[in-house]
Amino acid sequence: MRAFRWAAVILACGLGSQIALADALSIETARGNIDVPRDLQKLVVFDIAALDTLNALGVSVAGTPEQVFVDYLKPVAKDAEKVGSLFEPDFEAINALQPDLIVAGGRSSKQVEALSEFAPTIDMTIWGDGLLTQAIARLHAYGSLFGKEDAAQELEDDLNSAVNALKAQSAGAGKALIVLTNGPKISVYGKGSRFGWLHTELGIEPAIEDVKSSTHGEAVSFEFIRDANPDWLIVIDRAAAIGQDAALAAETLDNKLVAETTAWKSGQVIFLDASKVYIAAGGYQSLMGTLAEISDAFQKAN
Amino acid sequence: MRPHLAPLQRTSAFWPIVLAILLVGLVAGSLVTGAANVSALDLFRRGESGDILLVSRLPRTLATILTGASLAVAGVIMQTLVRNRFVEPATTGTGQCAALGLLATLLLVPGAPLLAKMAISSAAAFAGTAIFLALVRRLPPTQPLLVPLTGIVYGGIVGSISIFIAYENDLLQYISVWMNGEFSGVLQGRYELLWASGAAALAAYFYADQFTVAGFGKDTAHGLGLSYRTVMIAGLSIVALITSFTILTVGMLPFVGLVVPNIISRFRGDNTKETLPLVAVLGGVLVLASDLIGRLIRYPYEIPAGTIFGVLGTGVFLWLLFARPTRRV
Repeated sequence: MRAFRWAAVILACGLGSQIALADALSIETARGNIDVPRDLQKLVVFDIAALDTLNALGVSVAGTPEQVFVDYLKPVAKDAEKVGSLFEPDFEAINALQPDLIVAGGRSSKQVEALSEFAPTIDMTIWGDGLLTQAIARLHAYGSLFGKEDAAQELEDDLNSAVNALKAQSAGAGKALIVLTNGPKISVYGKGSRFGWLHTELGIEPAIEDVKSSTHGEAVSFEFIRDANPDWLIVIDRAAAIGQDAALAAETLDNKLVAETTAWKSGQVIFLDASKVYIAAGGYQSLMGTLAEISDAFQKAN
Repeated sequence: MRPHLAPLQRTSAFWPIVLAILLVGLVAGSLVTGAANVSALDLFRRGESGDILLVSRLPRTLATILTGASLAVAGVIMQTLVRNRFVEPATTGTGQCAALGLLATLLLVPGAPLLAKMAISSAAAFAGTAIFLALVRRLPPTQPLLVPLTGIVYGGIVGSISIFIAYENDLLQYISVWMNGEFSGVLQGRYELLWASGAAALAAYFYADQFTVAGFGKDTAHGLGLSYRTVMIAGLSIVALITSFTILTVGMLPFVGLVVPNIISRFRGDNTKETLPLVAVLGGVLVLASDLIGRLIRYPYEIPAGTIFGVLGTGVFLWLLFARPTRRV
């Protein structure tokens, strides 16, 4: 009788693990392939890019950060539970929610270990030169995770055609300099930086070949911009990205030195929607938005 | 008497001459250094390159000198009023309060004009410094090091309030514009507020003797026929204006007000009225030198002058602490 009971236990364990295996799915994350449970009811998302792409796929989300910064995601956040900020999760709220999966990444990637205490957590960070490639990989990961492979493929096709169209435009457009303004001060970005994909993946020629990479760019004076003399200025206003408009980027750049550049003289200054390219970079809708903004500007110049 | 310096000290013109030569050299260096590739000759010709001189190089050079000079003077005033050599606006809460005032305007009245920002941050700096003085008056006079320590703790508390508010509002990178002093954004039309700061420093020169008397305390001041209250308010106002104007234009540059007056007093004694011009010039020289170094180390990219001065200033300060000449009378 006792032997039978043990056999039953072992069998049950075996069956259990069989079921667990069948229910797990291996998906690509920023930290390699990870097994994720298949039947996901409650999802908490701690990355704006991830929230953006999931929203594009029509996946509903149970918990989001309080601030999502991007206009088109505000309705999503309004309907969801608030689970803290990108840098500081509200662990009480997460525990109360009992999610099946937590998606972190980017600004929240440092919290992955802490969040793993509450539910399986995946790091879906998207960063730097390979931003588009990573964004497409994340798109397909979400697609297979939520059984929306076809929708993911459709979105990828749209994205690819937008990228190819822009590549064709940027081929003859001239050289561009990426400038981030923070109040009255400026810094520049090149290949290898968080905005490097504009050069490497969209084929926009850089005005300066070897800008060193650092998270918040290289501090420069306005003389630097004058001498780089780009054909295009791609401007990201950091203050606007977080909803401040105290000192507008245009005001900062409107001076005699920047006025001497080809870009300023011919009105070839692109003020990107900073919340998209700075906060939600790599999200599907943010990418499409940024691509459209650059494409429109190139279109007008011709 | 310091034997090894005696020959130099006898000629009272020695330090002014050295400082003047340094200043001229640095100004020349600053005018020909910048990310724009313009030769020294072209710089002074009319036309496009002439713009660089007037729009960028000259304003930046003047901005560094004005900032350094007025911050050093503000340091002297603080030290005289508190009668303690180890205080300055950036380590006694004045700078932190000015920044807190700026943050408050940014959050509560985002579109406020420059004049309102100036007024609010100066008022905050004034109030903050007055609180520091009130705190310090209660400290035992036998423990002079408690004064700077209290200042650092107090400044730290006010500073952390700013950082907490900024953190909650995702403004951390934005307030770094005020916290790290640097001159990369200086252009014609964007630094002129610093002339007001320089004017405040000049006003201090005429009050210098009265600050010294006020430093001896209320009773002594009254005994000598001085309105203690008026002098204190004048001193605090000058410190608050200089601090908030420089923070608003170029950001906080700690150590300038601490290091510069100490160097001068080491060589020229403590007659405020006599040493104040030297303090101002040395402040200008050192900040200009820091900015020039910051422009050159990673040319054409920049390192904040505040960072460079922090490194140099710490070195000089340690030297002052450890190499105090023993009395040989």
